[in-house]
Amino acid sequence: MPVRVVDTSLPSQASASDADVEHKSPPACTLLGVGQAFSGTQNVSSPQKDEAWRVNVRIQGFDLEHGYLCGTMEALNVPMADTPVVTFWEGEIVDTKNYTFFTNKWKATSEVDIQHWTKFPSFSPLLDQVEVDGGKSLNLSNYPYIFMRWKEQYFVNVGTDCGLTIAGFYYVCFSCTDGSVNGFYYDPNSSPFQKLELQSAQEKDTGFSFSSYALQ
Amino acid sequence: MPSSAIPSSWSYNRPEHLISRLRSAGEARIKALRELKNQIIGNRTKKLTYIKLGAVPFVVEILCSAAFDISGDVNTVLVQSCAVLGSFACGVDAGVKAVLEAGAFQHLMLLISHRNEKVVDAAARALRMIYQSKLAPKYDFVHTKNIEFILSLLNRTNENVTGLGASIITQSCRTKMEQRALSDAGALKKLVSLLRGSLSQRDASLESLASLIKDNPVVISKFVGPESGRALSAVTELTKDRYPRTRLLACMCLIVVNSSSPTSLQGAGIKMKLITILLELMDDPGEVGDEAGFALSSFISESEDLQKLAFEANVADKLCDHLQNCLLQIRRYQGILLALAGLSSKLECCRSKIFTHKAFNLMIDALNHERSEIRVAACLCLKSLSRSVQHLSAGHFMTEIIIVPLIQLLCDTSTSVQVAALGAISNIVVDFAMHKSVFIKCGGVKQLVQLSKSMDSTIRVNAVWALRNLLFLVDQTCKEGIFSELTATTLSSLICDPKTSVQEQALGLVRNLVDGPVDSIEYIFLEDRLLLHAIGRRLLSSSNTEVLIQGMYVLCNVASGNEFHKEAVMHQLLMQADPDALSIVVKFLQNNDSQLRIAAVWALVNLTSPSSPGAFGRVVRLRNAGVVQQLKTMVTDPCLDVKLRVRTALVQSMTFDDGVVMV
Repeated sequence: MPVRVVDTSLPSQASASDADVEHKSPPACTLLGVGQAFSGTQNVSSPQKDEAWRVNVRIQGFDLEHGYLCGTMEALNVPMADTPVVTFWEGEIVDTKNYTFFTNKWKATSEVDIQHWTKFPSFSPLLDQVEVDGGKSLNLSNYPYIFMRWKEQYFVNVGTDCGLTIAGFYYVCFSCTDGSVNGFYYDPNSSPFQKLELQSAQEKDTGFSFSSYALQ
Repeated sequence: MPSSAIPSSWSYNRPEHLISRLRSAGEARIKALRELKNQIIGNRTKKLTYIKLGAVPFVVEILCSAAFDISGDVNTVLVQSCAVLGSFACGVDAGVKAVLEAGAFQHLMLLISHRNEKVVDAAARALRMIYQSKLAPKYDFVHTKNIEFILSLLNRTNENVTGLGASIITQSCRTKMEQRALSDAGALKKLVSLLRGSLSQRDASLESLASLIKDNPVVISKFVGPESGRALSAVTELTKDRYPRTRLLACMCLIVVNSSSPTSLQGAGIKMKLITILLELMDDPGEVGDEAGFALSSFISESEDLQKLAFEANVADKLCDHLQNCLLQIRRYQGILLALAGLSSKLECCRSKIFTHKAFNLMIDALNHERSEIRVAACLCLKSLSRSVQHLSAGHFMTEIIIVPLIQLLCDTSTSVQVAALGAISNIVVDFAMHKSVFIKCGGVKQLVQLSKSMDSTIRVNAVWALRNLLFLVDQTCKEGIFSELTATTLSSLICDPKTSVQEQALGLVRNLVDGPVDSIEYIFLEDRLLLHAIGRRLLSSSNTEVLIQGMYVLCNVASGNEFHKEAVMHQLLMQADPDALSIVVKFLQNNDSQLRIAAVWALVNLTSPSSPGAFGRVVRLRNAGVVQQLKTMVTDPCLDVKLRVRTALVQSMTFDDGVVMV
């Protein structure tokens, strides 16, 4: 017997009973856990040239309590680079506790924030509340999308003189449903709205596999 | 030929001669006792010499016989004997041992009730020296009579007697029951009142209060409550005392309050003050400075908020600076290392600060220190620092300069060093920078495998933990090397280990072993499916959720492989503990723990993937076993992750319904 599958998960505004912030944070998702990999492209087109770099991402750390995650990003066909360029990035999870939709740093005003977040269709139901308080009072605990900011911190395998910049950061939307990642790079000195599109990447095409570590 | 002339005074003062003079009577004996006292006061070497020559039993004999003597100047003899015994016991454990073995304790206790106040004072002073040591006899607080005796000591006017009462509590009060009994009998109130006494009474009272309230929220609430007057403010006030030792003891008392009742220390102000006072006290060149590091470590180690405050107070830099200047003072060295370990246990900003300081190299040097307590403290520092994913990602720890000494410590004669080294190694081998081969080349795997067979379960669990982390995202060559050292037989016995913590880590290890390319899954089928059978048995019999989660992820990862692998998992999932029981997969899907439900559903997602040729047959079997029906009840699971995976599994299962592809 077929089961009707209806997505009823809309974010709600936190009521008084939602005072416990634990319940307002986005849910943990196995596809965004440590060891998980993603692959796809980043569009770096300029008015002069259409260009996209192949990109691989690996999650290395995930701490929902602190709204923190981190990992590496590998750009594969970067012009003028002999090898793939790997960067280490740290992410802020918009959990309404540690971080809201307003960045308040990295040269991003709330207008810039809204401009970028609204590029994600899944953000539309949140827009009104975010304009009021940055989304502080939203309950994201059952929302199947996780919003984040990823900021590259350092180059792992090339020097800072490689002719590339990591001055900007990514507005990111992760889909818990299929593990896809969409992002927009923001750097006032770079082409606007460079799009990052990644899919959950499994080593085998026959199924999903999960490794784990635990720090002492 | 020249001959050596021995001066008569030297001969007269020889220890042996002085001991023989203790046998004289009257004034000569008193003189000998005084001389002995003067020689040993503050002189550890002399104390040890006289202890070796058997002086202590002589003095105890004098004390004992004088206690029954009513002639002559017996009180002076008693006072001097007590003083000598107190000196022997002061600051030297061998002295305390000798005094106790000679049977002095009972006699000294009896003298507390002597009619002469000077004798009482001398006996109390000697007993206090004994109670400064951990070798002091455990006082029995179970009997009401004994508690009454302690109260009677605290109620006396003599400073040494009240100090003795406080010291007995400090050394002997350990259990919650003892704390409660003493507190109910009035000891808490009396000790609080002694905070207004002399310097010695204040210090003794602060130390005693810390023992009386430690880890006991009930007694702490009495201490901070109105019935104790303004006890908390009085202690807080003493953190500003002119004497460093009093300041330290007041801080330690407040730290004890904070650890069980953080809300009692209102606001960040007082907490910040405690941090700055302890930092200042580290400048003290003596024992107070030595102990300040330990106090700071116990204050901040478990609390992220306190570590934040410590970071703001620039504690990282100051501790690093102290570290460079204390290498010859063992106790201080250890305290500072522990404070650094505590400071960097939770916060990345603290770790980065320490990592870039030149003192970081001193921590690595400390791994080779001759004293085991320093080696342990250095390992704890590295363990805290290596919690930094950022630095693990940069490969900062996987260098021979750090790895080689750590691996050597795995063979240390001290178990606590081995455990501490394993803790640091467990974190370091996570190493995202793909330098895991450095650890293998340095012989680390061989040592870890050896320790995974230890009789000591703490060592065993930590060794397996390190191997599990080492296998996280490791390349195939390294994986092969690790497995050939470890063997399926050892792994199988670790999965069946009597300790669930070992089972959990062993299953986590296998989970990582079978992750990655499809070939990796074959490990589990070696030696006639040895590992697969061990895991199956564990999943059937264990009731520990963490063990089940790791075991279920192993099966999920195996189910991500080819048809042969998927069929093997099907067999395991549909096993039942007995014919009437639920299959393990249904049992896990019904479990209260969402992590276990997720692992089980992921395995089903892998088994029902429509792209695999045998999926249809498996769906039929899962349906017949009631698994699909169970999944249908979970479409509104409270955990979003479970709910989403259940939908995927159901959609995949429905793909085969009547040959109609559902979208």
